[in-house]
Amino acid sequence: MSAPSQAAAPQPVAEETPLLEVTDLAVEFRTAEGTVRAVDGLSYRVEAGRTLAIVGESGSGKSVSSLAVMGLLPPTARVTRGSARLAGTDLLALRPRQHRAYCGERVAMVFQDALAALNPVHTVGYQLTEALRARRGLSRADARARAIELLDLVKVPNARARVKEYPHQFSGGMRQRVMIASALAMDPEVLIADEPTTALDVTVQAQVLQLLAEIQAERRMGLVLITHDLGVVAGVADDVTVMYAGRAVEQAPVGPLYAAPAHPYTRALLRSIPSTAGADRGTRRRLPVIPGRPPSPAARPSGCPFHPRCDVAQDLCRTEVPPLTGPAPARLSACHFAADVLANRPPETGGTHE
Amino acid sequence: MSDAVLQVRELVKHYPVRRGLLRRSVAAVKAVDGVSLTLERGRTLGLVGESGSGKSTLARMLVGIEAPTSGQVLVDGEDVSRLSRAGRKQLRRDVQMVFQDPYTSLNPRMSVGEIVGEPFAIHGIDPAGGRRAAVGELLELVGLDPDHASRYPHQFSGGQRQRVGIARALALRPKVLVCDEPVSALDVSVQGQVINLLEDLQDELGLSYLFVAHDLGVVRHIAHDVAVMYLGRLVEQGPETDVYDTAQHPYTQALLSAVPVPDPAVRLAAGPSTGAPTAQPGLLGGIVLEGDPPSPVDPPSGCPFHTRCWLAPTLPEARADGDGRAVPEVCVTDVPALAPRGAAAAHAVACHFARELVATGVEA
Repeated sequence: MSAPSQAAAPQPVAEETPLLEVTDLAVEFRTAEGTVRAVDGLSYRVEAGRTLAIVGESGSGKSVSSLAVMGLLPPTARVTRGSARLAGTDLLALRPRQHRAYCGERVAMVFQDALAALNPVHTVGYQLTEALRARRGLSRADARARAIELLDLVKVPNARARVKEYPHQFSGGMRQRVMIASALAMDPEVLIADEPTTALDVTVQAQVLQLLAEIQAERRMGLVLITHDLGVVAGVADDVTVMYAGRAVEQAPVGPLYAAPAHPYTRALLRSIPSTAGADRGTRRRLPVIPGRPPSPAARPSGCPFHPRCDVAQDLCRTEVPPLTGPAPARLSACHFAADVLANRPPETGGTHE
Repeated sequence: MSDAVLQVRELVKHYPVRRGLLRRSVAAVKAVDGVSLTLERGRTLGLVGESGSGKSTLARMLVGIEAPTSGQVLVDGEDVSRLSRAGRKQLRRDVQMVFQDPYTSLNPRMSVGEIVGEPFAIHGIDPAGGRRAAVGELLELVGLDPDHASRYPHQFSGGQRQRVGIARALALRPKVLVCDEPVSALDVSVQGQVINLLEDLQDELGLSYLFVAHDLGVVRHIAHDVAVMYLGRLVEQGPETDVYDTAQHPYTQALLSAVPVPDPAVRLAAGPSTGAPTAQPGLLGGIVLEGDPPSPVDPPSGCPFHTRCWLAPTLPEARADGDGRAVPEVCVTDVPALAPRGAAAAHAVACHFARELVATGVEA
């Protein structure tokens, strides 16, 4: 997490050269119903020592965009546009073999389901150092020593003994630590974590988030955290990209985004979270909700994809796709009425429909 | 107010662990280990706990999917285990279940109308006006189009499927719905819709809910009373405001403080984390527990939480044991009883040192 690094040395938001810069990424899937655009013009940047949270619901394209960066898209999908530059090199322009060489070494990924991601027939130690042995030619003894170091790094107790155990002998939280350790094996500059704590209990989630934060601060790693949990985002992110229907609908630093969202979707999402603090006491008999459901990538609405569920939609929203522009410094929102939403006032043109 | 629609007394569920050629029972998984609860009519009791705490096993015993090893389940004061088979079936109609996963709990080869109408067939009931009309009414009740009764589950979204599951549970006009994580598989924007539906149905039909969930925010929103489970036992129980605002058990406090708060200001106010051992103020300014919950096959002696308790080592009574963790002896030897410790009689906690917690005023 970045709280320590922020406190030690406040960093300029956008001045630093990004470690990873994704520009205008578009990904298409071939399906039975035709070609479906899962990601449509996504751009973001990740700087050293900072955490970017990508927030979205199912079908928003948040995971697909990361798989594209990692070169892990299934055969039915392809990148149709855009670039993903890692220190100047466009990963998406590389041949598959080169792409794989980059990924794992310099960008690594942690997946949600650690049990599915680990091989049940190999010891944890073997899996942790598989890449090191293949890529760096480590001997068995050196590999074992390195595996123990890695388990120590992610605070798995009794690493020396546990390195010989199999994934099923680890608890959910410990397996996720193993996943993080294996992603860190090659000292990546950027770590992409896709819902790393979603399958975990809250007390264990807190441990894993804390661990990620400490490791990130120590190594000044860039962290991309993909999640649907706005509580987790508030706890660990520096910057936030909110995705809806394959697009970024809002991008902002975490504080301003929560204080005053500039997109109606972000605003509605924040309002719909039931709080443990009892802040919604007065309204408890009705939780504010977003009507309808996220659109399927195969049948996106015309104009602004959020307009059928939006509480401030106008005629314009049904026909015109809103560009991602800045209603205020360091803020981006893909809403025709972003300035009004940001100021929390009704849109200025015409009468409201529905 | 003591109009109990559902009561549980000293409920126990042990699963034998069998080994060897003769499948001898060598140990038991103590999934639920002596739980007593009361659900008042027209109210919602939230049951929270982490995976392995036994909350789902408890829920399944209430609807008769699992038979208890010992203990009693009382529906409207009648002990379910003492009834005849026919009597039990009759009583089962009063307690119905909504399952977690709307993707696997609906038969993909049955139409939604057949699914919702199946309870009528099972119990041999002919609803007034015919089954088709009754199914239409039920679908309408949960906000679905009655004309969609001939469609199949795959044609519905997750939120709509959960509505189908609720309609099926309501078919026999039950008094109690046991909801096992009913919204945790849904998108955030759809969760709220289902929660609102459940609340509307409660008002409309006077239903009582046992609401099992791990999301403490959702539980606070929907529940009137809350019970917290850890390793098969209740550690704290009381009205929602008492449990959330003045949690007394160190586990409840840790659980509440581990919930990420959707407000970056909370993190910034808590200051930078020191990177020190994780025993104290963590990432979000809360308590970070060490380790995972122990296995219910071999739960710790005494208080089941003593191996992870953050409070015990700080007490003056703490004595170092063999494992190098200093905790008061009583936590290792005696199981703390669930009893009221504070001013409110309804707020019970199972901790030998709950009073000290109140005194030190630990903020969750």
